[in-house]
Amino acid sequence: MAEFYIDAIAALILFGVGLYGVTSKSDFLKIFFSLEMLLNAVILLLASGAYHFGLTRGLAVAYVIIVIATLEAAAGILIFILSNRITGEIIPDNLDKAVEDE
Amino acid sequence: MSILILAFAIILAVMSLTQKNTVAAVLAFVLMMFSLGIYYILLGEKLLGLFQIFVYTGGIVVLTLFGVTVVGSKFPEFKIRPWAMTVVSVVIIGLLIIPFLLPNISYAGKVIPLKDQVKIFTDFYSLIAIFMGVVGASILYGSIRMLHTLKYGKE
Repeated sequence: MAEFYIDAIAALILFGVGLYGVTSKSDFLKIFFSLEMLLNAVILLLASGAYHFGLTRGLAVAYVIIVIATLEAAAGILIFILSNRITGEIIPDNLDKAVEDE
Repeated sequence: MSILILAFAIILAVMSLTQKNTVAAVLAFVLMMFSLGIYYILLGEKLLGLFQIFVYTGGIVVLTLFGVTVVGSKFPEFKIRPWAMTVVSVVIIGLLIIPFLLPNISYAGKVIPLKDQVKIFTDFYSLIAIFMGVVGASILYGSIRMLHTLKYGKE
């Protein structure tokens, strides 16, 4: 039981680090890293639940999350390229200036 | 052993967000994902661990390295948002308190076993996480696509 709490606390800290990155960082690459951390915190908790309590149904969800993370990575690269093409940089805060300059 | 691997993963997660060099940040990210994959294998979930290692340290890292070629070797300077740390610290403290409150949750006078509480997370909240991930990625891509249309018109 104590091992599950260790996993749960580690997952929550990882979720917190990812949440901090999403809210405070200003370039797409670090926001992308943070989103992956949020998803991995969920996967860690699902794997821990499957191991300690036999809730193997969560593993199917974990595989789906990994697949979605892959799709999200592909979308993230598209966002990099589009943002770099429009504004010349990868900072989302400066995207509104691109429209104002027109 | 598990504490060491998890602590290593968390330290690497913090490093990947605090590094100013892009390649070092990607390397920290890769090692974090690799250590999590090793941890899943130690938990007995070999397929999940191998999936994690193949997908994250193999596929996604190639994509992020492609992103690094766009960003350059240094991250751009940015303004620090002081409210972010406050909000996130409140959320982390709240989330860290929850595991210690879980055994005391009761329904109709009976204490709910921890297994059932984790089952609720597995059955319900994780599906919401998937849904929110898809919606968030769609909104991000759609907003930038809209910006592109606003700037260059319909081509």
